[in-house]
Amino acid sequence: MTDTKKKEETSTHKIGIYLWIWGLLFVLSFFSYMVDWYNFQGLLRWSLILFFMFLKAGLIMAFFMHLFWERYALVNVLLWPMTAIACFVGLMVAEGKYTVFSRLFYFFVGG
Amino acid sequence: MSDDLNIKKTSSIKTKSSSVSGGGTDIDYVRPAELPEQDLYHGHSFITKWIFCQDAKVIGIQYTLTAVFTGVVGLILSWMMRMQLGFPELFPFLTAESYYQMVTMHGMIMVVYLLTALFLGGFGNYLIPLMVGARDMVFPYVNMISFWMFFVAVVVLMASFFVPGGPTGSGWTLYPPQAILEGTPGSGYGILLMLISLSLFVIGFTMGGLNYVITILQARTRGMTLMRMPLTIWGIFTATVLALLAFPALLVSSIMMTLDKVLGTSFFMPTIIKAGEMLSYDGGSPILFQHLFWFFGHPEVYIVALPAFGIVSDLLSVHARKNIFGYRMMVWAIVGIGALSFFVWAHHMYVSGMNPWFGFFFASTTLIIAVPTALKVYNWILTLWRGNIRLTTVMLFCLGFIVTFVNGGITGIFLGNVIVDVPLSDTYFVIAHFHMVMGIAPLMVIFGAIYHWFPLITGRFLDETLGKWHFWVTFLGAYSIYFPMHYLGFIGVPRRYFEMYDSPYMTSAVGMNEFISVAAFIVGAAQFIFFYNLVKSIRLGKPAGKNPWKANSLEWLTPQVPPEHGNWGEKLPVVHRWAYDFNVPGAKKDYITQTTPPSEVIEAEVEKT
Amino acid sequence: MSDPTLDKLPGGFKGMSEDIGSDQTTFKGVNWGKAMMWIFLLSDTFVFSCFLVAYMKVRASVTEPWPYPSEVFGLEVFGVPVPLLLIAIMTFVLITSSGTMALAVKYGYEKNRKMCGLFVLLTAIGGLTFVGMQAFEWSKLIFHDGVRPWGNPFGAEQFGAFFFMITGFHGTHVSIGVIFLFIFARKVYRGDFDTGRRGYFTTMKSDYVAIEILGLYWHFVDLVWVFIFAFFYLW
Repeated sequence: MTDTKKKEETSTHKIGIYLWIWGLLFVLSFFSYMVDWYNFQGLLRWSLILFFMFLKAGLIMAFFMHLFWERYALVNVLLWPMTAIACFVGLMVAEGKYTVFSRLFYFFVGG
Repeated sequence: MSDDLNIKKTSSIKTKSSSVSGGGTDIDYVRPAELPEQDLYHGHSFITKWIFCQDAKVIGIQYTLTAVFTGVVGLILSWMMRMQLGFPELFPFLTAESYYQMVTMHGMIMVVYLLTALFLGGFGNYLIPLMVGARDMVFPYVNMISFWMFFVAVVVLMASFFVPGGPTGSGWTLYPPQAILEGTPGSGYGILLMLISLSLFVIGFTMGGLNYVITILQARTRGMTLMRMPLTIWGIFTATVLALLAFPALLVSSIMMTLDKVLGTSFFMPTIIKAGEMLSYDGGSPILFQHLFWFFGHPEVYIVALPAFGIVSDLLSVHARKNIFGYRMMVWAIVGIGALSFFVWAHHMYVSGMNPWFGFFFASTTLIIAVPTALKVYNWILTLWRGNIRLTTVMLFCLGFIVTFVNGGITGIFLGNVIVDVPLSDTYFVIAHFHMVMGIAPLMVIFGAIYHWFPLITGRFLDETLGKWHFWVTFLGAYSIYFPMHYLGFIGVPRRYFEMYDSPYMTSAVGMNEFISVAAFIVGAAQFIFFYNLVKSIRLGKPAGKNPWKANSLEWLTPQVPPEHGNWGEKLPVVHRWAYDFNVPGAKKDYITQTTPPSEVIEAEVEKT
Repeated sequence: MSDPTLDKLPGGFKGMSEDIGSDQTTFKGVNWGKAMMWIFLLSDTFVFSCFLVAYMKVRASVTEPWPYPSEVFGLEVFGVPVPLLLIAIMTFVLITSSGTMALAVKYGYEKNRKMCGLFVLLTAIGGLTFVGMQAFEWSKLIFHDGVRPWGNPFGAEQFGAFFFMITGFHGTHVSIGVIFLFIFARKVYRGDFDTGRRGYFTTMKSDYVAIEILGLYWHFVDLVWVFIFAFFYLW
């Protein structure tokens, strides 16, 4: 880690970095829009959407919200709770699949 | 600053060798203050001093009084429920509808509006700034708004008793679809007011919770490291973090159910045929509500339990004159329980028809969470081991807590296993379990804590004789209520039934139900001894003076008792040690307060903290 | 932010363990208000996550077909249907306002009153534009396409319910943000942050860190939009 160099910028960052990130967000939004434009489907669509989404979210958090320059104590406090959400999401995916299975099975196939 | 840290290290080494000829400034070194003094608003009029007050201590008392008021309402509701269960059809006004409404309101009031508000809003507000050595909460204004939001939430909740149809009767879990369908008592205004009240509570609590967390993290006094904080603060802190992360699920489910009710959306409402007619609802997912609710609901159990764990650790330590056994282990257990509590929620849903594979996951995580919990119990017992135990009322309540908590915890292990849970689910065994573990056990701690901190708040002791009566009646009475319920559960008596009529198991359990009801009346009445004691002792209690229990933690070391606004007078305290230096070998007194500098107790073999 | 003592502290995980083990503050150099905003945003993240998880769970389990968002949200430009055009513009506006907010925060650090105020104002205008376009989008869906919270002509009825609820909740956040942006633009121009004038309600002294805190909130609103955009419009 280039510790000393990064810390010097802490007080006030060069305007360039904001403009860069700004531009990058536009480009990424454009790409994710293109996913829809070209009508990708299936796993490709999903992975592209999620990839651009997390990239954009990461850029906003890291640079616009200055998380990149914050000390690890704050960063870790903010990011670890996301595991609970990840667990919730994962389980609800399984639950959703099970619900639709039981609906189709009992209502349409007829048990 | 890194140099400062090195100086600190060398100084602690010197303390250990204790070869330095006393009085050196070196070993008493504490890092200088990082932040300027807090800017406080001092109230001038009656309104700014006592009503719209920004002093955390007053807000804490306001929270406590409001919460206790709702608690009394909950208590009266439980009396009426027991009246119906023990002596059915004795009172004509106790109909099935009103019974369900009482069950619902009793549950919601006790869990959310009494216990959560009392532990975090009441004890949290009063104790956090004092125990971490701050002048006040970091955002006094927001803190004030927090209380008034809570107050409005309580008013809205109580208003539901007086609207057409009465309060909601859907059970405290408010499961849709029945909660908002006709036929459930209070499915009109009742449920709506309940949902609004909960949303207001969450918003109000978030404001308060941010205050508690930031005060603990960012406004500690000099020398107060996280690992020197009293366990009370650790418990309240972790519980607040849980609340901040779990209440959103309650807020979301409340909003969605409100929309289902008001706008006719179908978030939680499946296709329903009622009296041969299709309702307009279609395709929603009732089990989603259960997941959201319990994603809030299980952390909520620990929101109630963790402050109790923390407070009881401090009380045990002070009243057994012994340091808490395994302080760091206790801290990590609290944090670990808090973290794990987000991964266990669906053990409340084993019979709900969720994905059957979930049983594996949630039974495993549930049993894992028993490990840190058991650690804590062992540590409490080992704290008592060879301690200089003083059987004050406070200590009695703490001992009562340990017993009831172990009892409720063990039945929890039964219920955490899917295969054991399935037959026991929805029986009185469950009622007995959660009343033991999150009803009686935390209440024991609350009583103990009030007997302990009453001298700080008012400057006078509570009456010990009345206190002992209060304890024994409550403790033995609570056991008389809930112990037989385990048996009722084993023989299969279902919970939430308004009356058993002449079903086979009921004929065998009639006597037991009557016994439970009588015990419940007595225990409820015993609480009025306590209220009498409170009122009496405010004016007539024995004057306590400063630090009557000879405790170490900062709240007892304020220049005035009771502490005034700003807590510390001219200078903030400086902390040199943890709060548990009792009966240290070599020390002159049996306690060394947190502010005592090392040079004053150079000959004592203190723990390195 | 410009606290020179911070630079001497070790960084990384070593720094983290020292920060957590130290007295007084755990987040070194982080203002109280800023720490509070971060924790609040963490809590708010859980709110939006619960909304999105609920949406995902219901969408995965309905048996009726889910409306195809690309067509529902499409606009016709000169007779040519363009999918998600309005949404693309809204995204553009919100990211733009996020960028101006980042610059406002930067000038806030530098205590540059005029530039800071200008960019806060620009951000507020961007936010207002976003809310306006959302109102347009809602009215088009409601009056033109006949989408209602309790049903719609395209398919599963939860589509409208979740759409209005989640974008409505996000829009509420944006609106609250816009109100505060205007208030703070005025405060900056008036020089409250230079003179340390006391707040009307809280009686606390004003400081430029307020702009950073407001910025955190505004970027969070943008962040949520990223997720809504991905899950609601692209899925």
